[in-house]
Amino acid sequence: MSTWISVARYQLTDRYVFVTGPWLILALDFLITVVVVAEWPGHHGHAAYAGALSAIYVYLIVTGALGIARQLPFALALGVSRRSFYAGTALLAVAVAAVYGLGLTVLQLIERATGGWGLNLHFFRVPYLLAGPWYLSWLTSFTDLALMIAWGMLFGIVYRRWNLMGLLSFIAAQVLALTAVLLIIGVTRDWSGVGRFFTTLTIGGLTGLLAALTVVLLAGGYATMRRVTV
Amino acid sequence: MTPAISVAGLSRRYRGQLALDNVSFDIEPGSITGLLGRNGAGKTTFMRIVAGHEFASAGTVTVLGACPVENETVLRQMVFVREDQAYPDFRVRHAVQAASWFYPNWSHELAGALLEEFGLPPNRKVRKLSRGMRSALGIVIGLAARAEVTLFDEPYAGLDPVARQLFYDRLLAEYAEHPRTVLLSTHLIDEAAGLMERVMVIDRGRIVLDAAADDLRGAATSVSGPAIAVAEFTAGHPVWDRRRIASQESAVVAGALDETDRARAAALHLHLEPLTLQQLVVRAAGTPVAVPQERTSA
Repeated sequence: MSTWISVARYQLTDRYVFVTGPWLILALDFLITVVVVAEWPGHHGHAAYAGALSAIYVYLIVTGALGIARQLPFALALGVSRRSFYAGTALLAVAVAAVYGLGLTVLQLIERATGGWGLNLHFFRVPYLLAGPWYLSWLTSFTDLALMIAWGMLFGIVYRRWNLMGLLSFIAAQVLALTAVLLIIGVTRDWSGVGRFFTTLTIGGLTGLLAALTVVLLAGGYATMRRVTV
Repeated sequence: MTPAISVAGLSRRYRGQLALDNVSFDIEPGSITGLLGRNGAGKTTFMRIVAGHEFASAGTVTVLGACPVENETVLRQMVFVREDQAYPDFRVRHAVQAASWFYPNWSHELAGALLEEFGLPPNRKVRKLSRGMRSALGIVIGLAARAEVTLFDEPYAGLDPVARQLFYDRLLAEYAEHPRTVLLSTHLIDEAAGLMERVMVIDRGRIVLDAAADDLRGAATSVSGPAIAVAEFTAGHPVWDRRRIASQESAVVAGALDETDRARAAALHLHLEPLTLQQLVVRAAGTPVAVPQERTSA
């Protein structure tokens, strides 16, 4: 356990990966959105849905990938086991997701209180996903952020274990799987079924599903990690 | 006594190519062993397996009596400094600090002193360091860790002679004060020869020479002088190599020479010179046949 904490500290030594990076991206993204919405000629008090919040989620995939791919070799040289390195990094990922989820929730409360930053901007409020009470927003943010880091970690591990070709195959497999799903829906012309699935599924239910997916990714990452060589 | 490192029947195969071929030996605790060999001979692969970074295809490795793979107890007592170490985006002081968290015997004083002696700027990014300085950083970590098993793989690539001497001096001082098991691979053989108590030469994945360094000193002697005198002297001795230029000849005689031999050589006005460790290693790792052979010069 104390080794796990040391690994988490090790991961935070280069602050950019886990701390500065995600928030810098989000801050820039927020500023750009505010400027665009404020200057938008057609915007007169209409609600503006930015969707730009996704930047921090996407960035956390990078965080997870760098957290493994760039940090692992030196940690192993210092006598850290793969297991401890993975556990410490996963622990940090979950903690970071919880704290950042709370941060996003607080920003959402401020956004509500200030009437969308005085611009009726919906930056931290996302219809369906982040629209409920604060604790549900926190839970959803927490889960989704953790999912992104866990997914990113898996990319990092695949790269470390099977190099660039492995990483490319891994990405290609995911693109293929997604295409297959879309194709099946398209061929069966059952888009309404997809719509029904999401309307019957509450955000709490979706969060539960995504939490389960996060656990699966973390378990898969651990299994892959065990035979990584450096 | 439990060997510090024990290897039995160790093989590692990469896509049909044998990087390590049935390697077996024990290394006693509290010794400095030189692991020598050509590029691609299998030195790094061997150390990576000992450190648990790579997996064996066959055979077993134990470090301090247990399998090192994912074994935190063993790993805590082992440090691996490699030439091609990839670092995170750390500053020098970050790398040293991070290392201190994982080694129970870490010496902050020693790390600080070494950083200063090697002239490493603590705030410089590791990726901005020159090759030599990066090597120096590895040495600082490897020595300050005071790990019971210390693996140095080409630790001083790119280091200047002054810094190399500093490494040798510091390693010996540390070793005397805090004995540990050191496995050192290097190409600068004669320079490091004084450090090594045991020498192992690995070639194409096999151990081709394994001997105490003392036994190797004087294990072969180069005899040179007039060809007729050399021929007379070497008769009855196993000869590894003969080179002749006009009437002068130089031959390498295997085996130790006794006082009678030396007296004879002096009488024949022959020049005797023991083969250096490097010359012995070149012979062990560079020739396909290890059996002493006679070569006739036409």
